[in-house]
Amino acid sequence: MAQIGWLEKWTLRFAVVGLVFLAMSGFEGTLMRTQQAAPQVLEPMENLLANVRAGGDELTPTHLYYGMLTVHPIVGIYGFAYMAIMGAFYYLVPKLVGKPIKHPKLIPVNFFLQAGGVFLAWATGFFGVFNSLYTLYWPLPVYYDRVPLVASVVFIIAMAVVMINILLFGFNLFSTVLSKSNPHAISFGQFLASAFGINRLRRRLGRPAPADGPEYEDLPVFIVAVGRGSIDTAINAFVILSAGVLILVYGIAALLGRPLNPASIDPLLYKNWFWWGLDMVADGNVLMYTAGTWYLLVPLLVGRKLFGESVVRTVILFDLLVSMGVWSHHLLADTTQPGILQLISGQFITFGEMFTMGLTIFAILMTIWLARPVKMTAPLLFVLGSIFGFAAGGSAGLIQANIGLNVVLHNTQWVVNPHAHVLLMVGLGNLLFGVVYALLPMLTKLEARSRTLIKVHFWCWTVGTMIMTTAMGTAGSQGMLRRMLYFGGEYHGYMVVAVIGALVAAAGFVAFLANLVYTLGLPNILSLVLPQAWVEKRWGKAPASAS
Amino acid sequence: MEKSERLWLGFLVLVFLVFNAITLSPLVPWQSWMVWNQPALDREVRAEFADYVVTLSPEAQAIRVGEYVQFVATSSDVTYGFGIFRQDGRMILQMQVLPGHQNRILWRFDEPGVYDVRSTEYSGPRHPETFLDDAIVVTG
Repeated sequence: MAQIGWLEKWTLRFAVVGLVFLAMSGFEGTLMRTQQAAPQVLEPMENLLANVRAGGDELTPTHLYYGMLTVHPIVGIYGFAYMAIMGAFYYLVPKLVGKPIKHPKLIPVNFFLQAGGVFLAWATGFFGVFNSLYTLYWPLPVYYDRVPLVASVVFIIAMAVVMINILLFGFNLFSTVLSKSNPHAISFGQFLASAFGINRLRRRLGRPAPADGPEYEDLPVFIVAVGRGSIDTAINAFVILSAGVLILVYGIAALLGRPLNPASIDPLLYKNWFWWGLDMVADGNVLMYTAGTWYLLVPLLVGRKLFGESVVRTVILFDLLVSMGVWSHHLLADTTQPGILQLISGQFITFGEMFTMGLTIFAILMTIWLARPVKMTAPLLFVLGSIFGFAAGGSAGLIQANIGLNVVLHNTQWVVNPHAHVLLMVGLGNLLFGVVYALLPMLTKLEARSRTLIKVHFWCWTVGTMIMTTAMGTAGSQGMLRRMLYFGGEYHGYMVVAVIGALVAAAGFVAFLANLVYTLGLPNILSLVLPQAWVEKRWGKAPASAS
Repeated sequence: MEKSERLWLGFLVLVFLVFNAITLSPLVPWQSWMVWNQPALDREVRAEFADYVVTLSPEAQAIRVGEYVQFVATSSDVTYGFGIFRQDGRMILQMQVLPGHQNRILWRFDEPGVYDVRSTEYSGPRHPETFLDDAIVVTG
């Protein structure tokens, strides 16, 4: 591997640790599916864990299951997805705006806080059996006869670290875009006006735009999308942080022997606030970061200008209104939620995502179509896979975000499999793999060495995930709940198929790791995250280092 | 906006209109009383959740086919879910049960049978225990 720069090395570190978190999340997911297929099969592991867990002998198989279920999405989203995004954006944003990262010292800070915070949160679930699930529905997180008090406090502190870190990351990105390190410096207000097309709107209304501001078309569309998605990211972090502070106050009061009354907080109000913020991840920054990455990658891969760029910029603006207004689709089963909110926010505005993602996907596919003939490179293959994932998972989401159909779909396996896992694994997962394949030559001057392993990676990952999610989704349509551990073998056949699908997907992931090791060499990969002296002593070879 | 984009946008609008029109219409049976009509209640069944246990009022055992039944669920501790299931595990309906609120859902059973009630929302590590076998009896 060639000598690589400081920033490139940090980008690779984010990617490597992100992949470790993906492996952890996948391992836990497979354990949970195994537990659903045969609840007693994990008993030896439980007995082993009981020796190091708080609560020890009193723990049951449900503690193990719900502890894992609580931290599984945290590790997958805030571990894998966010680490990968942070690494990629720290590399791409300065390149595209032609400025260095404004606060480079924040990069390692972001790395350690994110990795440490997520790992600590995972440990509170896996070892501390914190089990109130990621939704933290009030007042369960402060009912300390159901969730362990100390683990609850530690979990909230860990998540607070993650959220503050995300705010720091967003601050660093915005600071970089807005920094005055070159003649094209712009203010925050000018950036927003440009990113959201305010100047264009003013012109259309017959009012002249300020002469000194940047033109709307000046900013790369990727930067516009990242800026737009980062607004959702910041709102998400702030709202989750505020809920965490509330839970922490109750936890500290209980630790001091002065417990507070959970009934002081209205669970419906809390749920609205919490989902408004939490949904910014799913319906805001994931979609916008994804769209931005497609806008950047596809024109580069096929050698053609993005089709319909003007429409795409309008879509980015429109999506802000959509992501701010869709949260009620998580409250369609709450009959105390005002019906008008359920219909407008939960159903109709949620359909706005079909328009934003539909137009985005159309622009990407047209760009590829008009660039024919195109070479099916590894990144392009994975980008196409991610488009399939977002189209399929998004469609499943629209079906459940419906006041009629939600009556029989809410909280079933349909929600988390044909919708969430297809979106996250086939959609976002394939996209992030595509980014790794695309950035690898830029960072290391090396192409992934085995074409065969790339194909095994893609097809096993995509087909395995679809097998798993189809089996789980079918069980959901038969009434299988997403947060229920069944002991009577009710959905045994579906769960066996789901485990097989998960193992096929895992085989794809292993092929990916094998290709990375084959391409970069194990010492080079280990030297990214382990002390270089130790790696050199063990392998007797000097790995590449920062220049 | 190019012609192909306009055509695609038109297709998306069509999907939006058709899908929402169908799913809001009485083609989805319960929409007729959940969205379009406000029928008079024939019966009210109360469900109380506390400490992983769900208790139904006696009216649950005497429902007749075609009656409009309002289920009113309350919780004295954390959030639960009120779900009615066929004996083969398929779900009939569900709603969230928030503490401090009267959670209501209206239903009309179209066929006789015996139904189970299960919490559809996680309420703590003993969540699977919140289950009531043969909780609702509907006769012709």
